[in-house]
This record gives sequence, C-alpha cells and structure tokens, in this order.
Amino acid sequence: MSTAMDEEERKLQRLKAAVHYTVGRLCQSIGEDHQKEFSRQVIAAIAETTFRQCDIFAKDLEAFARHAKRSTVSVDDVKLTARRSTALSNFIQRKSEEIASTNQEQRDIRKKSAGKRKNKETEME
Amino acid sequence: MRPITAESALIDKLKMAESSTEITFKKETVSKLLSSFFKEEKTKVGADAVLLMAEMLHVFVQEAAQRTIKQAEAEDSDRMDIEHFEKILPQLLLDF
Repeated sequence: MSTAMDEEERKLQRLKAAVHYTVGRLCQSIGEDHQKEFSRQVIAAIAETTFRQCDIFAKDLEAFARHAKRSTVSVDDVKLTARRSTALSNFIQRKSEEIASTNQEQRDIRKKSAGKRKNKETEME
Repeated sequence: MRPITAESALIDKLKMAESSTEITFKKETVSKLLSSFFKEEKTKVGADAVLLMAEMLHVFVQEAAQRTIKQAEAEDSDRMDIEHFEKILPQLLLDF
C-alpha cells in the first residue's frame, strides 16, 4: 500500500479543485459581461488546460532560476515566461511595477510607525 | 470581424468591468501549484513572483474565456460549447 503516493494524489486533486473553482467563477463573471453562458464542459476544459499550463510555467520558471544559479524563482523569471507576446509582457511588466510600488508603500508605512516611536531619529531627519 | 490576436484580446481585457478583475487565484494555491510541478525539492518561489504568477494565470483564463466567446459569436451561437474552446486552444497555447 503506497499511502505516500495516495497523499500526493489527494494533494493534486485538491489543487485541481481549487483551480477549477476560481476558473469557474472567472468564466461565470466573464460570461455575464457578454450575456452568454459557459457550459460546464467548457469550464472543466479551461480548468484542466490552466492546470496543465501551470506545469509548463513551473518547469520554465525552475529552469530560468537554475540558469541564474538561484533556487528561488524571482520576478525576472516570471517576466521571461511572458516573453512570447508583447502585450502580455507589457502587462506583466506593469503588474510587477504595481507590486513593487505596493511593497514600497508598505515599507514606508512601517518606517513611519517605527519613526514615531523613536522621536530623536525623526528630528534628525 | 477583426482577427483575434493576443494583442486585441488583452486590450479588451484591460477595458473590462471590475468584477472579473477582482476574482483572483489565491497566492497559497498558486504557490502550492507551482511547487507541486517543480522537479527539485529545493526550488522555491519568491513572494512577489507568486503574485505575478497569479496575474499570469488570471490572464490565461481570461484569454481562454474571451477567445471562446468570440469564437462562439463568430459562429452565431448563444452558448459557449466545447467545439468553440477546442478551436481557439491551439493559438492560445502558442501565445503563451
């Protein structure tokens, strides 16, 4: 009895279900915008395709990171996976800038509240 | 009908109503998903990279859905059926 494999299989099924759930909601929302409906079969097909596309993305990301002698996939690796379409890579570029600026905002907020606690440092600035 | 290109479909996506933009993949799901496909145990994904990949997947699903709709419309069909999806699938995979 290979219970380790069963556990792996169950994990994969849960992930597939999670993908299917979000894909279903997205398709429903997009369908509503166009006053059309997606058949369950189509939603399942899109979910399956998305799941398999993740495999391709993951393998690419891993290869890019390894090529750069890293073990952690970075934003640059993700940008590379978007290279095939100009519109897509521009979109991903903009999104990465949004993420970076949100991070900066959060850092600034943390700095401010740390600054309020240390009055001397604030006056020196 | 203008040709359905990656460019035009993406531009349409950007003009779209807020609702579908708000539905996103959870970052835990994306992270676990990618990790499950890595060949090596030591490979991890940075936090920002996870967020960006969630965006990639979001666009992927939107493209799949919108191209299927356009295909159904081109064939004067009210519903999106599997044949419509199958017809747009090859180009979708090539564009990504």
